[in-house]
Amino acid sequence: MGAAGVATAATAVTPLAVSAAIAETQERTVPQAQAITGTMPVTLKVNGQSHSVQIDPRATLLDTLRETLHLTGTKKGCDHGQCGACTVHINGRRVNSCLTFAGMQQNVEITTIEGLGQPGHLHPMQEAFVEHDGFQCGYCTSGQIMSAVAMVKEPWGTLDSDVKEAMSGNICRCGAYPNIVAAVQAVRRMA
Amino acid sequence: MDQVTESKVIGVATPRIDGPLKVSGSAMYASDHHFPGLLYAWPVCATISNGTIAHLDTAGAEKMPGVVAVYHRENIGKLYRVPPSTGFTLILDEKRPPLEDDTIRYYGQYVAVAVAQTVEQARAAAESVKVTYNKEKPDTGEKLLGTPLTTDKPDEKSKRGDTAAALQAAKVKVDAVYRIPVETHNPIELHASVAVFDGKKYTLYETSQAVVNHRDVMAQMLGVPTEQVQVITRFLGSGFGGKLWPWPHGLLAAACARNLGRPVKLVVSRQMMFESVGHRPAIDQRIQLAADADGKLTAVQQDYVNHTSMLDDYNEGCGEITPFLYSTPNLLVTGGLVRRNVGNPTAMRGPGAVPGLFALESAMDELAIALKMDPVQLRLKNEPALDESLNIPFSSRHMKECLTVGSEKFGWAKRTPEIGSMKRDGLTLGWGMAACSWLAARIETEATVELLQDGSARVACGTQDIGGGTYTVMAQVVSHETGIPVNRVDVVLGDSSLPPGPISGGSWVTASMTPAVLAASQNAGKALVLAAIKSDGSPFKGKKPEDLELVDGTVRLKGQQQGAVPMAEILRIAKVNSVSGTGKSDSTFGAAKPKVSFHSYGAQFAEVTWQPEIARLRVSRVVTVIDAGRILNPRPARNQIEGAVVMGVGMALFEETMYDPRSGAPINNNLADYVVAVNADTPEIDVTFLDYPDYQLNALGARGVGEIGLAGIASAITNAVYHATGVRVRDLPVRIEDLLVPANRTTHLA
Ligand code: FES
Ligand code: FES
Repeated sequence: MGAAGVATAATAVTPLAVSAAIAETQERTVPQAQAITGTMPVTLKVNGQSHSVQIDPRATLLDTLRETLHLTGTKKGCDHGQCGACTVHINGRRVNSCLTFAGMQQNVEITTIEGLGQPGHLHPMQEAFVEHDGFQCGYCTSGQIMSAVAMVKEPWGTLDSDVKEAMSGNICRCGAYPNIVAAVQAVRRMA
Repeated sequence: MDQVTESKVIGVATPRIDGPLKVSGSAMYASDHHFPGLLYAWPVCATISNGTIAHLDTAGAEKMPGVVAVYHRENIGKLYRVPPSTGFTLILDEKRPPLEDDTIRYYGQYVAVAVAQTVEQARAAAESVKVTYNKEKPDTGEKLLGTPLTTDKPDEKSKRGDTAAALQAAKVKVDAVYRIPVETHNPIELHASVAVFDGKKYTLYETSQAVVNHRDVMAQMLGVPTEQVQVITRFLGSGFGGKLWPWPHGLLAAACARNLGRPVKLVVSRQMMFESVGHRPAIDQRIQLAADADGKLTAVQQDYVNHTSMLDDYNEGCGEITPFLYSTPNLLVTGGLVRRNVGNPTAMRGPGAVPGLFALESAMDELAIALKMDPVQLRLKNEPALDESLNIPFSSRHMKECLTVGSEKFGWAKRTPEIGSMKRDGLTLGWGMAACSWLAARIETEATVELLQDGSARVACGTQDIGGGTYTVMAQVVSHETGIPVNRVDVVLGDSSLPPGPISGGSWVTASMTPAVLAASQNAGKALVLAAIKSDGSPFKGKKPEDLELVDGTVRLKGQQQGAVPMAEILRIAKVNSVSGTGKSDSTFGAAKPKVSFHSYGAQFAEVTWQPEIARLRVSRVVTVIDAGRILNPRPARNQIEGAVVMGVGMALFEETMYDPRSGAPINNNLADYVVAVNADTPEIDVTFLDYPDYQLNALGARGVGEIGLAGIASAITNAVYHATGVRVRDLPVRIEDLLVPANRTTHLA
């Protein structure tokens, strides 16, 4: 539903005085819809779904996911490949989406935290993070979980210290590391 | 209010109710919000740190694709300052509104802002704005003590006895200067603001640790009544103090939204976060300790100086803990400020106490060595019977038990004091310890609890959950009082339109919010009882309120299990959707004449491993014992302490923001060059809570755990480094270069 649709729906149920205010707002906020100058068409396959969108050729995969596809589960912590908050999977491998141009990822399978599992049917790694309290603020968590899911399939040893090393590209400023290790190890032991 | 002793929910390890949202990417943080017609703003940052703007040319930028506007001093429109306030209201650190004048006082100060249809366009436009400056020599000088203060002489913060005389007469003395560099909060969530303006009202999605204060400040600065501003922070990617008060970017976003009549998103870059959203200031502290030959302290003096910005005064308050931590007849604490060309400093996790305890607890270690005394014994020996700074009793202090339990858990008895004398697997071990403390307080809070016909409850309070577990603890308190299960309690917070709640600072949310929620739950219960005795069809119709009780989500006659009716059933009978109650808690913070001294306490024990062959230093083990009142939810509480220990490892070994003396730029302005502890740096951490309820603070006996875990850690680690290497590092962080000097030499300030 476009912005106009929202306006209609809102007006239908809103008392007169308020709807006038909304109409005024909508008038100010509507102009968009038409393609933004300087953008180009791309088709991205995210979480098994194909999206054909117009993006700025400079757009990173991270900004495209967040700002164009509104998949905001993937977070931006540095935009420089230094924190891991933006970790997604490309063909099953973990990648920093802030270091990846969206325009170059048209023929690959992209998986984000939203595609991993949602409340009610969480992925075992997501369950383990809840169970082991593997976060505080939760902002690094999508990246931690995407990294962890990929890490489990990588050739690491079985020790806690292997997990700590493998997960050191994902900064958690809240410092929930002991619990992150516990969550990842619980999933690795299950597998 | 009656003390809460027994509970099926309070004190029980409870999974976070917001967990599933956080692990699935569905929790909405400020920058996740999107609205039709959204525009993106990108600030233009000064590339000098002292001088004036000579010329600002936006013509090229304005013509770039997608650019909607470029704002600067002349066209941003009216922005106001906040009036001076005496109470705990209208707080912000950088009081000058952005773009107010052409003077540049710190590197990265905003000089303009570009707004465009995509974030890439906005950034490209901002980078194309041409600015020339009249540049002057900046002052970011690191040496603070002995440089000109903002006042004629340092401020006396606490004083008793005759410190000068006692220092002179001392048998054993320590006199040393300790230095903390600028530390930057660096929460992983970037500061952000999504501003929506409907022609009258601003709805601001902010990264805020204090939505109510944020609303009040923004209303003042935008020049509109408070009811025309709403600030929303449903989820916050933490802040560590950096998101307590509004920063200039939020005002820029709101002004752009106002000027354009369209929603505007402004996300501060990681680089900008080293410039314009606060930092822990650089601090010099001279500590002088004097003691008898048997280790009894006779004098303590602490003189600290912290840097602040050119326009605003930020005082770190390093003497917060010193006056009451130990028993001493003579004590003096002074503090002063020096101005530097830096952005405004602000509170960072454990402000005052954390840097203050680094200095004090390092000096105590040096004193123990001078006395040839065990450092734990030295602290036990100087345990005070009351708060000697105010001559009032402690509400609940178990420092001795923290020290003895910690010693036992750590195995301290096996420590041999000689430098480098302990080995394991070919590594040299260093064992160090420190005591710690942090304030406990309540601040004014209101909360509302509703009981609904569908059997659920709803609790609302204008506070925030910054990762500490506030969502869950609020649900636990309601559940405790009403018997409604935690998962049927709907918690609403992070919105300035809710009943005003505490700022997420000072570790006081739990102590302030829980009594208000408890009272609100009790009042909602009373409203329910009223419905039970007044409604037609109710089995309790005509009874007196005192005949009834609420137990496990039911209403019943006192002491009679039979005939109990579920609360929801009463509401159905009464044909009402919900009953509600409000609750308040008053403030202990900043009381003029306190009758009790409220603080939390702890003991930190650290082990480092040292390989002199390759100069490799690691923190291998930390034991921490915390006396922070009753722990309402041990899971997130333990997580808080562990996380603080991790941050303490960074503080001790890695963290330092460095300024280029020529430009004043923070040169390591990114997460690769400003090193924070990562997973591989995490030691083995053993957390113990003593769990003594502090019933003088509130009915639940809760204090708070957000900051205490960081207090003392850095000194426990540097004390351990001394034990392993013989090098006393008084200038954080510990650098490899420090440890390459021969043993028994100390590092000195330049
Ligand atoms: S945002 Fe991509 S690594 Fe930090
Ligand atoms: S949970 Fe806050 S940064 Fe990891």
